[in-house]
Parts: sequence; structure tokens; C-alpha cells
Amino acid sequence: MDAPEPIRPWWQRLIRDPAALLAAVVLFVIVVCAIAAPWIAPHDPFASSRAVMKPPVWNARGDWAYILGTDGQGRDMLSRLFYGTRLTLIIGLVSVGIGGVLGSFLGLLAAFRPGFDPFVMRFVDIMLSFPAILLGLALVAVLGPGAGPVIIALAIASVPDCARIARSIAVSVMKQEYIEAGRALGLSNMALFTRYLLRNSISSIMIFISLRFGQIILIGAALSFLGLGARPPTAELGMMAAQGRDFLLYAPHIAVIPSVLIFVIVLAANVLGDALRDVLDPRLRS
Amino acid sequence: MSAMLEVRNLTKHFPIRRGVLRRVVGNVQAVNDVSFDVGEGETLAIVGESGCGKSTIGRTLLRLLTPTGGTVALDGTPVMDLSDDDMRQMRRQMQIIFQDPFGSLNPRMTVAETLAEPLLLHGLATRDDVAQKVADLLETCGLQPWHAGRFPHEFSGGQRQRVGIARALATRPRVIVCDEPVSALDVSVQAQIVNLLKDLQAKFGIGYVFISHDLAVVRHMASRVAVVYLGRIVEEAPVEELYATPRHPYTRSLIAAAPRPDPAMRNVRAPVQGDLPSAMNPPSGCAFHPRCPLAQDRCRSERPELRQLGKARVACHFAEAEPVIETAGEHRQSDALRQRLAVLEAAREKEKT
Repeated sequence: MDAPEPIRPWWQRLIRDPAALLAAVVLFVIVVCAIAAPWIAPHDPFASSRAVMKPPVWNARGDWAYILGTDGQGRDMLSRLFYGTRLTLIIGLVSVGIGGVLGSFLGLLAAFRPGFDPFVMRFVDIMLSFPAILLGLALVAVLGPGAGPVIIALAIASVPDCARIARSIAVSVMKQEYIEAGRALGLSNMALFTRYLLRNSISSIMIFISLRFGQIILIGAALSFLGLGARPPTAELGMMAAQGRDFLLYAPHIAVIPSVLIFVIVLAANVLGDALRDVLDPRLRS
Repeated sequence: MSAMLEVRNLTKHFPIRRGVLRRVVGNVQAVNDVSFDVGEGETLAIVGESGCGKSTIGRTLLRLLTPTGGTVALDGTPVMDLSDDDMRQMRRQMQIIFQDPFGSLNPRMTVAETLAEPLLLHGLATRDDVAQKVADLLETCGLQPWHAGRFPHEFSGGQRQRVGIARALATRPRVIVCDEPVSALDVSVQAQIVNLLKDLQAKFGIGYVFISHDLAVVRHMASRVAVVYLGRIVEEAPVEELYATPRHPYTRSLIAAAPRPDPAMRNVRAPVQGDLPSAMNPPSGCAFHPRCPLAQDRCRSERPELRQLGKARVACHFAEAEPVIETAGEHRQSDALRQRLAVLEAAREKEKT
């Protein structure tokens, strides 16, 4: 018997899925624009001008100096969009990262050490009884408004959800016979936890976290929309949508463009999350 | 002379907790006062119907479950008293092969990783020669070296079971508990695995505790058989003796109840009636009395002790009294079992070539 062809690495299989490829490209472009904001922004995103509420270039009254038009204070929409995306992504990534790691660890621990389970889960239940928005309001009241408190609030709000999901995934993994096989080999708890439990739970948890990323961006934008997040004149997508609200009838682009961008980011993150699960789970390989 | 593995009075009860306060309202008596020996290169089969505690015996003696009572000694070392660290060392000597070849391998680890793990853990290989040792192991268990880079889901059931055997074999253990290792496989693959296990035993002198409900496979594997009913050994005898002259009525019904390989064939004798009683609330006296054709008043009140009878040990009040009518060996077995044996025999012969 000869060895058959080895299986392609996961990223090669990922880009064979057209939806995932598109989502990945879109997210990549958005992230690059966000990172490169200071160099590619055509105007100062904070400087007002007299060209107030100029429509985008595809409108008859638009012009190429302001491709996506200007907002109610005459600031260039495109430049603000670059900077706004940057802040939105940072808030989403950092808070999901912190909350996801903490929550997953708690959930895995609860499954690995059944003794901890009641304590962890009651703690999680208490946390779950606070809506994220309320938690954000309370934290902002204590810490003052700004991106930092929003990140902390969103991270804390992510912990219980992630802990629950991680626990339910880990509990089903712990019931598998290979956990017992690992014990029978004489593996240390550390090795069992990382090589057996974590490794078999991580991809499902990652899918949840990547789906959670979309939700968190939405909640973060909502907090900014309510005026609790980043302070003006900083740009943030939710805040930009809020500022456009007053001009919705005369200059809809000011609210619509950032909203559409939020939608695209969340959708791309979800599609990519689903596709990642499909390629990272060896049982789904065909 | 003491045997390699000595199990004495092994007992495992699972508490049943109810209500908010998790009060203990009862015990499932999964294993009760089980004692047996396994010598070097010997196979002791543990047979019984589903839920009788066979698997619990295997897991408890490996300390994968904490026993309620009893002792286990391997080469004179008491296993149950070892500290956690010493127990990890001891696990090198005692391994387990699982029933489910789909669930017992870590799906995220390649075969190479799975097999390298015990080797590196117990210092049996270094980073440099581990690949070679893994390849040797694969070869010993009838797999190809290029299988090393594969994940478990890329294998068939029989191949996975070989990987499971290779993993158990990696540490060169003294004892392997085989928990229904062939029950999930079809007959020709069963034959391959039985052959493999026997070859490995001959080569390395491993003692097997072979847990099974399949009397045909047990006939091929075991040198001695212990029949378990409701957590207790009811009969233990050398394999020929047990099949030729089963002394306990439960053993007789088990042999009569062997599955028929030919669906057109009818079972001559009715197998045992009724269900296994609850281990939470076992019957008084002899646990088998509600289903036993020989049951008398004495059986309801007095539990028969396991006692020596020639080369066998039997727990039945009438073990001596029962006249052994059919002494002429094989024809005593049910036709069904004989056919099952023939099928397995033929498959083993075929797989050898």
C-alpha cells in the first residue's frame, strides 16, 4: 500500500469556499483600511469645513474632494469612516479577546473540575442577569465615558456567555472515552486539560467567539450611539450613525454609510466564523 | 506463589444523590467483593450481561474509578495506596483497551502524537528516536508506518482498534484490561484483533483482563473465565471446564443464550427469564434466585459464598448437588454457540494467512 495524498492545510481548504473567500477578502480590506487610516485618509477626520452635509460623489451635487460626502459639521465622511472602523474594531477585538479568554477558561475549568462547577455557574448566572447595555451604563457612570470603559464593560458582559458555551462544549468532551484513555496513560492534569480538553473544545469555542464578535460590535456601537462610548470628536461607527440621525431626511448618507459598514463587518465575521469551523474540525473533512 | 495481578474483595458502590441537598439516598452496588488473580501471560475473561458491572471492575482495578473497598496488587505492589505521582508511574504497567474505537482516540491528535505521548511521558523514548519507535509500534500492531501522520477519523474501526492497542502496548505494560475490545467490530475484524492480541501476549507475556459478553470470543481468548452476575463473581473456572461443565445455573443460561449466527436456527433451550435486577436494591440471598430454575427457599434467604470446587470456584448452593449429566464436553454447548465458534474459528484461520 502506498501512502495516499496528504490532506491540504486548512487555509487552502478555506479559500475554496467562495462565501468564505469573499468574507475573508472583505474583512481583510476593512482591517487594512482601519490600520492604515492615518496614511490613506484624504482629510483630517476631526477638522470641520464649510462644505456641510455634502452628498457622496455618486449624487449629482457630490464632488471628488469628498468621495463619501461630509457630515453635519463638514468633516470628511471617508476619513472618519477609516478612523471610526479602527476604533470599532479595536473595541470589539479587545473586549471579545479578554472576555472570551476569561469566560472560556472558567467554563473549561467548571467542566474539568466538577467541584468548581456549582460556584462558576452560579457566578455566571448572576452575571447574566445584567444586560450588557445596563452594565455599560453603570461602568461608564463609575469610570467616566470613553473607549476604555466600554471595552471593560463589553469584556465583562462577554464572560458569562462564553463561560456557559465553553462549559457545555467541555462537558460533552469530558464524557468522551479518550479523556479516560488519557487518564489511564498517566497524563498530568495539565496535559489532559490542554492536549485533550482544550484542543477538542477550542474550535467550537472559537466559532462562538467569532459569532460573538459581531454581537459585541453591535452592542459597542449601540453604547456609542447612546453617547456612552467614545467622546466626540473621536470617530466611532456607532457614534457616527447617531450623529447622522438628526439629518436623516436631508442627508441620509451620514447615518446610512456607517450603519452599512457595521452590517458588512458583522456579516463577514459571521460567515468567516462558520467557514472556519467547517475547515478546522477534522471530523467534517471529506 | 503469588500471581502477577491480585485483586481482593474489590467493591465499588456509586452513591445516588437526590434533592437540593444532594443527600445520599442509596447505592448502586456495581461491584461487590470481587477477587481474582491474573498470572503472567494469562488471560482472565470476565463475562456477564449488560449492566452486571464488568466494565466497572476493569476501571476500578485501574483506579480510573475510586473503589469503595478492596485491594489490587501488581507484582506485590498495592495499587490503591499509591500517591497520585506514584500512580502515574504505575500506569505504565497497567493499560486499557476500550470498546469504542471511535471514541477512545483523541480526534485532534495524529496517530503519531497519540502513540508518542505515552512513550515520552514515561521516558521510553527521546525526541530523536520517538518517530522510529512509533513506526515500530505501528508495525507490531499490523499498521503501516505512513499511518503515523493520520488522524483517527481517517481509519476504519479495526484500524482504530489497532491504534488503541498500540497505545496500550507503548509502555510495555504487565497487564492490559481489554474492555470489550472486539464487540464493536464485525466478525472478520474481530478475528484479526483476537489474533493480534494473542500474538502480542505470546511475544510480551502480557496478562489480560478480558471483559466481554461474547462467549465465542472468550472461548478463543481466555485461559480462565469469571462469570459475573450483579457485581459478584458467581463462577470462575478454566475455560474448557467452564464450557464443558458449567456448574452455576446462570453460566448455563449464558451459554444457552449465545447469539445464533444463522437466523433460521431456533434456540433449543429458553434462555434466562426476566431482566437483570436493580443493583440499587439487589435481591436477598442469592442475587440470581428470581431468575433461577433451581431456586429454593434457601436461595432466597442465604447468599451462597464463592467456594472452591476442583479447579473452579462456584457460588451456588447446589453446585455439588447438581448432577453433571452431560459430561461429554463440546456437545453440551448450545448449537448456537458452537456455530458462533465455528464462524470465528474460520475467520481467524483466514486472517492468519
